[in-house]
Amino acid sequence: MTDPVIEIENLTRHFGAKAALNGVDLAMPRGGVYGLVGANGAGKTTLIKHILGLLQAESGSVRIFGLDPVAEPVAVLSRIGYLSEENDLPGWMRVDELIRYSRAFYTNWDDAYAEELRQSFALDPAAQIKTLSKGQKSRAGLLIALAYRPELLVLDEPSSGLDPIVRRDILGAVMRTIADEGRTVLFSSHLLDEVEQVADHVTMIRQGTIVMSAPLADIKASHSGRSLDEIFVSLVGSPT
Amino acid sequence: MPSPAAAFAWEFGWPRRWIPVALGGYLVAHGLMKPLLLGSGAALDLGDGYIAFATVPFSFTFMYFIAVFSFGLNGDLAARQSIYPARLFTLPVSSAELARWPMVYGLAAMSMLWVIARIAAWWPLALDLPIAWPGVLMAVVLAWTQVFMWMPYGFRGLRVALAVTVLIALDTLVILAINYKVSETALIAFLAPQLPLAYFCACLVVARARRGVVPDWNIFSRARVGEAEKALSPFRSIAAAQVWFEWRRNGRSLPVLVALVLPFELGTLFITGFGSTAYVFKVLIAALLTPILMAGFTAATVNKANPFARDAYGMTPFTATKPITTVALIAAKLKMAMWSTLAAWVIVLTFIVIGFSWSGADSVLTEWRVWFANHVGMPRAIVAGLLVLSGLMLGTWLMLVQGLFVGLTGREWLIKTSGLVWLVFFMAIGPILEATWDSTIALRWLWDNWPIFPAILAVLKMIAAIVIAERLSRSGVISDRALVAGAACWAASVFALYGVFVWWADTPILPRFIFLLFAILAVPLVRIAAAPLALDWNRHR
Repeated sequence: MTDPVIEIENLTRHFGAKAALNGVDLAMPRGGVYGLVGANGAGKTTLIKHILGLLQAESGSVRIFGLDPVAEPVAVLSRIGYLSEENDLPGWMRVDELIRYSRAFYTNWDDAYAEELRQSFALDPAAQIKTLSKGQKSRAGLLIALAYRPELLVLDEPSSGLDPIVRRDILGAVMRTIADEGRTVLFSSHLLDEVEQVADHVTMIRQGTIVMSAPLADIKASHSGRSLDEIFVSLVGSPT
Repeated sequence: MPSPAAAFAWEFGWPRRWIPVALGGYLVAHGLMKPLLLGSGAALDLGDGYIAFATVPFSFTFMYFIAVFSFGLNGDLAARQSIYPARLFTLPVSSAELARWPMVYGLAAMSMLWVIARIAAWWPLALDLPIAWPGVLMAVVLAWTQVFMWMPYGFRGLRVALAVTVLIALDTLVILAINYKVSETALIAFLAPQLPLAYFCACLVVARARRGVVPDWNIFSRARVGEAEKALSPFRSIAAAQVWFEWRRNGRSLPVLVALVLPFELGTLFITGFGSTAYVFKVLIAALLTPILMAGFTAATVNKANPFARDAYGMTPFTATKPITTVALIAAKLKMAMWSTLAAWVIVLTFIVIGFSWSGADSVLTEWRVWFANHVGMPRAIVAGLLVLSGLMLGTWLMLVQGLFVGLTGREWLIKTSGLVWLVFFMAIGPILEATWDSTIALRWLWDNWPIFPAILAVLKMIAAIVIAERLSRSGVISDRALVAGAACWAASVFALYGVFVWWADTPILPRFIFLLFAILAVPLVRIAAAPLALDWNRHR
């Protein structure tokens, strides 16, 4: 096994009295597609924010590529592509300005690949971000997360923004390509059929605690071939 | 909710139920001053300082009501789209009702505010304020602001330009009317018919906004498809990209505001009867202070980590996840503020030259300039001019960025507490200065001991700087080498300024350490140095 891309030990985080994460341990080796599943409010986004260094560990440790994302944000973030659930791209920018601005931050930015993605996502370069639909905004966000071929791609609930065609035809293919190139994808979702189609490894989280983390094939084998949906309901409860 | 009227009343009233309570409490406290200080009897004369202090809560509430009832806190003021909340468009009520209730409740709120203000002026100060027209003016200003806020526009930024222009014109007319002692009845006759007119306009603009009408008068945006075919040239560096980002987001507001306000200020030079030397200097000072004042308004946006997002205080993941250091993010803001300041000052100087030369008022300035140069000598006169100009420019820049260390923390409680502290400070400083001015003992003590104040401030500044430097070093936000280099630059600037002060005004009356204290206080350090700590605290929560 190669060095883990993500190494989290005993991570705990409270928001007021509520424990958003409670003693989370997680190790993700390089390469592959990792699905993070849990009901709404289970702690998926909080965990992802710790990985990105947007939240500091209250206790425990978070290491990404062996580095602390809070102490060394530039070294970590330059190797991560991130699609936010919040769809927070600046509305005043045009698509071509967004690409121009984002490319300045990444030495690995691939202009040809960015243009290929823009065309496959059918994004008008002259369109202002705020005039785009929710799905188009997510496509624009995905474009700037992918165009520098990051070592780790983090997608927070990509299904909530992307339309079914992009999800089915593009997102899955992109994730597979990234994994085949030896890079790593972590995506959170509550659409279990989608996770089942794409993920190699599934981590289930409930009320801030990891209840299961294993390769998908092992999970299915140990649960007599039941669907992920059924396994999830038996472990966590209703997915939505 | 039994009716739309009640629903709107709840939406506006319930979250702000503390306002009438607070104003009532203020009124009681204010009214008790007379019996407590003097007992019953003659009117209480507390002077202009106290009156300035007493009006602050009312001015603040007035501005707050304007923002609340026009929905001005809800969106991007510069956007072409209506500010009226789109969520209300789906309510099963007519567009006229959508326009009516915010206007009616706004009118009621403004009336309440004026009644309370008038009572506060009458008791205990016995000030005889006009009965009604200021209240009508407040309602009219709100009504037109509502129209301008809710109207969709063909150009980005047109809302701010139009609103500022019309409201300043309205204010100017009223000020002229007061100057010419126009009667209250005439003023009300001028103002009151504007209320139904504004309501009629509001109904039209809300209906347009509800239909999704957003005109586009920008021929450049229509031709953009062809333009976008040309690839934009890449940025030279991350820093250049971030400065561009900050400039596009905040940089243009200050020059635009300054360009909007200055013509009105300088335009008064052309009015007959305003040609006295004193008036010319008043206009000059007002024009020179305009960028600092406007920077105070613009700073509210600059100091926010995230002005256009849902959580207006926290950083957006879009910015927070960019591989750029926190110091570089701050540096981009400081640089943007510098360009914005320079652009504003180019406009100010150009407008002043044009306004004064066209009006003929430049002859007054020329006379004074010659007198000053003869009095202190040409080199000193030139240095004094440069010092004043640099000071004003530095003041503008500082006004834009001095709040970063609070605003960028992203902590709502801290930002609001800081605002409250400033409000209390401004409310308290008037009466304190008034009382000091009226006391011979206080004035004598001050005359003998005034250097103690800059000394205390300088010591506090240095202590704060040391604490912040230690925190910066410990947090690793900035390297020790950069810290030492920054400290060296600051010290060099202080000593250079000290040298200029000593050369310009060396006198046996003032010991030289006073100049050093002023130089220490003049060169910005603590608030700027604390900004990276604030943003880092926000970025890694």
